[in-house]
Amino acid sequence: MRLSRRDVGILLSAAAALAAARPASAQGKGKIVYMIPTLLDEFQTESQKAVESVFSSLGYEVTSVDAQNDAARQLSQLEDLINTKPDAVIINAVAFDTIVPGIEKAREAGIKVLNFDRLITSTQFELTSVAGTVEIGEIAGNEATRLLTERHGSPKGKVLQILGDPGDAYTLDIQKGFEAVMAEKAPEVEIISKAALLWEPTNAGRAFEDQLLVTQDIDLVFCHAAHLTVPIVSIMESKGMKPGEMMLMASNGAPVGLDNIRAGWQQVEVEQPTYAQVYGLAMFIDKIIAGEELQTGSYKVLGLDATLTNEDWGPNLKIPGAAITKDNVDDPRFWGNLKFPNVPVDVVK
Amino acid sequence: MIAATPAPSARRIRLVKLLLDHLVWFILAVILLICSLSIEHFFQVGIFINIAQHATYVGLLSLGLAFCVIAGHMDLSIESVMAFAAMLAAGLTAARGSPFAFQVNTWVSLLLVLGFGALAGLFNAILIVKFRLNAFVVTLAAYIAIRGLGLILTGGRSIYGLPPDFRAVANTDLFGLPMLVWITIVTYLAFGQILKGSLFGRRVYLVGGNPVAPFRAGIDVERVLFGVFILSGVIAAFAGWLLAARTNGATPNLGVGMLFEAFAAVVIGGVSLRGGIGQLSGVFAGVLLLSTIDTAINVMGLDASYMQVIRGGLMLIAVLLDGVKTEIAKRLG
Repeated sequence: MRLSRRDVGILLSAAAALAAARPASAQGKGKIVYMIPTLLDEFQTESQKAVESVFSSLGYEVTSVDAQNDAARQLSQLEDLINTKPDAVIINAVAFDTIVPGIEKAREAGIKVLNFDRLITSTQFELTSVAGTVEIGEIAGNEATRLLTERHGSPKGKVLQILGDPGDAYTLDIQKGFEAVMAEKAPEVEIISKAALLWEPTNAGRAFEDQLLVTQDIDLVFCHAAHLTVPIVSIMESKGMKPGEMMLMASNGAPVGLDNIRAGWQQVEVEQPTYAQVYGLAMFIDKIIAGEELQTGSYKVLGLDATLTNEDWGPNLKIPGAAITKDNVDDPRFWGNLKFPNVPVDVVK
Repeated sequence: MIAATPAPSARRIRLVKLLLDHLVWFILAVILLICSLSIEHFFQVGIFINIAQHATYVGLLSLGLAFCVIAGHMDLSIESVMAFAAMLAAGLTAARGSPFAFQVNTWVSLLLVLGFGALAGLFNAILIVKFRLNAFVVTLAAYIAIRGLGLILTGGRSIYGLPPDFRAVANTDLFGLPMLVWITIVTYLAFGQILKGSLFGRRVYLVGGNPVAPFRAGIDVERVLFGVFILSGVIAAFAGWLLAARTNGATPNLGVGMLFEAFAAVVIGGVSLRGGIGQLSGVFAGVLLLSTIDTAINVMGLDASYMQVIRGGLMLIAVLLDGVKTEIAKRLG
């Protein structure tokens, strides 16, 4: 089929009209790409929804790309994105250091790079918003110490720690924070660490079930993600245990962890404040795009106390994680309750 | 002087052939012995039950895969079929996180899940048999697409809280053994009989050995291959249903990595990747061997990364042994 000049003219006009008809929010302030590490984790899928919703509400066009837990793929995606010239990229890294060369290229190309959730200290960002994975481990360590003290009168006993994939720096950071606090505050506690390869819950269940046979009187199980508790609770039930007989903790704040607390199987869930972390980035995005300097100090993000400091890797907004227990499990600010705040972003002028 | 007779030689040949045919069982016995003697707390009934119980899902996946490989093909979609089946079963029955506005009976969920598995196998078979597309590519595409379907179905969320009768399938003991172990054993015995003793099974071997000869002999090769792929899909879906029962639900990354374990078990179990050769008993031993090593590493306190190294090493040894076995078998006639 051949097109006449008139046909081409009509097509071009139609394309221009279509472009003009796009909603203001889609073309208004600029393009932002959210680089998500995996969609096989509900913390991440919830963060994607939050990023897309919050930044769109501010007038940015937001797209997301999934690295499928592959650090090399994420680096390639970032290098490809540089050619499409987005205004900003929000990185949620698969592997903390692998992505650094891509970040440096992006910044050289004039793209603003924001870091979300996973702290990278070896390069510069326009803004980092993290709860801090080491800090999540520390909160878990404090909670484990409290639970063991309540049970035994002093912090002693045995803890089975179930990590995620041993190749994932995220889980290693949580382990680092957890074990540092335990070594300081509960040195008598024996910690047995096992990994759930690929964060696969059946592997967590298997490690737990094997340990039940070889390690007597485990007091507490600490999983590095709430979804790993699903088979563990199931095994506890099938072994005839009662809720709370063996204590259970997890981190990341997923809905299943909160339901476990309500059912009495789990005592503590350490939440990463997903919504607040996203709002924290969004508060500053206009200033970042405009190339303005960010003022350090204290900020309220969705009612949480956050602190913006200047670090070697650039401005760093730290929003503390929280320990969820049966006393506060229904608080709507916890993302595991899946009550998206839907409040306007308090944009920093 | 006693003259040498051919009888001892024939007996020795039979013995060597028996050893070669069941080599993986001997290796399993040796590994179990070594672990029992060298690892504290390993030698106990509970550990052996764990090994058998944990072998259920990879065991069932390997069974379907073995049929495909013996028939001269492969099915990479089984892991995703299993995971999607688990998500579907959980979605249809669970109290929390379900994407559906309705719930069905446990046994209806089983029928629907098996139906899904059959459809997935049929889809693969149509493309491979009717459109003559490469099985590796077709089933790889299905592997990727079905995992994505699972994400669409669940929205990336966990589904959990299955009804008690569903969970009882995985949490009930019968004569001192978990129901899952009985299910695995019965399934292997039944399909072992089908493979060895039925017309369909014999045709699977013939088609895998050389698809042209059976075609010339009037065997409907396409029908055999359709049967094999549908069987593989149905068994993978059944494994998914059992996995949901065991884990009281499903998460989006459920079963990730089990495809490679299933392949390892099939290869270690002595199924030739060239098709036409292999026994389900060997595959079962391969699955138990991998499960034993995983449990040993858990009990020993070794870093989980060693599992990968050992699995890879075992696969290489299995392939080397396969070559040696073939050579010895040729020499023995």
